[in-house]
Amino acid sequence: MKLNTGMTVNRITDEIWEIPVSEKPGMLVPARIYATREILQAMDSGVFDQVTNVACLPGISRYALCMPDGHWGYGFPIGGVAAFDLQDGIISPGGVGYDINCGMRLIRTDLTLADVQPRLEQLMTELFRKVPAGVGASGFVRLSREEFRRVMTDGARWCVERGYGWHRDLARMEEGGCIEGTDPSIVTDHAIQRGINQLGTLGSGNHYLEVQVVSNERIFDPVTAAAFGIIGHEQIVVMVHCGSRGFGHQVASDYLKVFGKSMRRYGITVKDQQLACAPFRSPEGQEYFSAMNCAANTAFANRQVITHQIREAFATVFGRSAEALGMELVYDVAHNIAKVERYPEGDLVVHRKGATRAFGPGSPELPEAFRQTGQPVICGGSMETGSYLLVGTDQAVRDTFGSTMHGAGRTMSRAQAKRTVHGAQLQQQMKQRGILVKAVSMSGLAEEAGLAYKNISEVVESVDRAGITKKVAELRPIGNIKG
Amino acid sequence: MAWIFRFLEEIALADIAFEAEGGSIEEVFRGATQALLESMATPSTVAETWERRIERSDVDPSALLVDWLSEVVYWKDAAGVVFRKAPLTLTHEHDVWLLRARLIGAPVDQQTQELHADVKGVTKHLYELKQTADRWMVRVVLDV
Repeated sequence: MKLNTGMTVNRITDEIWEIPVSEKPGMLVPARIYATREILQAMDSGVFDQVTNVACLPGISRYALCMPDGHWGYGFPIGGVAAFDLQDGIISPGGVGYDINCGMRLIRTDLTLADVQPRLEQLMTELFRKVPAGVGASGFVRLSREEFRRVMTDGARWCVERGYGWHRDLARMEEGGCIEGTDPSIVTDHAIQRGINQLGTLGSGNHYLEVQVVSNERIFDPVTAAAFGIIGHEQIVVMVHCGSRGFGHQVASDYLKVFGKSMRRYGITVKDQQLACAPFRSPEGQEYFSAMNCAANTAFANRQVITHQIREAFATVFGRSAEALGMELVYDVAHNIAKVERYPEGDLVVHRKGATRAFGPGSPELPEAFRQTGQPVICGGSMETGSYLLVGTDQAVRDTFGSTMHGAGRTMSRAQAKRTVHGAQLQQQMKQRGILVKAVSMSGLAEEAGLAYKNISEVVESVDRAGITKKVAELRPIGNIKG
Repeated sequence: MAWIFRFLEEIALADIAFEAEGGSIEEVFRGATQALLESMATPSTVAETWERRIERSDVDPSALLVDWLSEVVYWKDAAGVVFRKAPLTLTHEHDVWLLRARLIGAPVDQQTQELHADVKGVTKHLYELKQTADRWMVRVVLDV
């Protein structure tokens, strides 16, 4: 089998591949990659190099993992999962990503394609107007510094208290949309200034808001789908992909700098300066954890304000309240985060970078609504091909620290995509295929063309066959907003 | 113009990478700054209605460049602006590199400006400022 690495990669199953500790000096545990043979062969060399670098970090438990949507990242590969002992292990911004609590949100509706198609242009225009996107965009929520600190501590709960959402929304978010253990006093002024005007904004890059359709024939598990509020019959749903914007980025940058200086004091060496880290129990480690949680809460709040705007846009266009349109939250899940979770080894700080939590049925951390089914997992594909709703499993909890994939994963650089595709042409072609796209930047649109991504269906098959998440439904795009 | 830059296609799959080079460290700073400005918006479409004067110093020019480029990204978010130009000078006295720059641009306007990526951070992935013969060169990866 030809791979983009000279390392030995052993087959464990058809979907699990292992790089033994003998392949790189300093590896403390093996690295495991979840992928079909075809996806593994297409993975870039960065995945193999970076996942084995992660396997060298102090206190790592069991395996350094990479999901099938994995590709080159900063420090950790995108799709990377690693868990560290709380006493001897580290915490690293490189294992969380710059966009802290970048995540996915799915909103269901009672509307069907027949209801929406005649007003799709009007709907997308209204959504584009109400949800600012692109470079330098600011949101409609004006915050004092004191109020912004409340957002950092209360997350989506702050939004609901201010009328930007419904109380029952909170039960359908990872951590109830509010992570404990924040300390806004340690967040830098630069981070506050970057984030204070960005609540309710989408950003750019691969972030988007998408109107999608669920057809009966693309529901794989009707019972679980129904429990999540997904009934098919050309049902309309709305997906949101974004995170903590400039605020989270500044927190990550600030602590990469802090950790870069403090590592020597703790006797830590890393294979890549983007893996800069600190012992979890050290003052620096605890400060980053608190600041990261502040950013995670602003991301929950960001997606909640965007949800409020989406509901208002639908209510305006369809002349009925969002509640009457059945616009309930299906779930909100993070895919760039570090969290303390309990496993047979004890309490571990689990880093997920471009990887989604995927707890199975009965997990005590899940709200009542998902105890029987397991946790919804939302995976975004390219804007041309569609996305998936999956469900977490007990096997994920056993094998992958309760983690799975997060999206399609890129295969082509942004520069190459722009040379291959023209933004305005792509917009026209997608319109002819029934997908209406509103974009701030045509070059940004070209960068996100479907050809720049892996086939999400193949990626989903990998995790489904491996048993770490199971398919529930495929979601087909009909409208997309990009920065 | 004694500096050039080029975007790199085969590294930073999901982000933006560039190399800038010049006859001096100061020229490399100019080239890298121009690459960053052009990553966010086409400078010729941006007016000159907003300005900040910025001074930064460091004993390490490599760290100073990251600090400066990060400051440009900061102002993009903090002031909601994109940039037309950023004239700068770099001097070296008593082992300290001193950067004096003017950041000139205008508030984001989707109707009149040609906007590109919302750059979120300047990373240290593959980051390197180095001298080759009589030229200086830097490679930068921007997170978008």
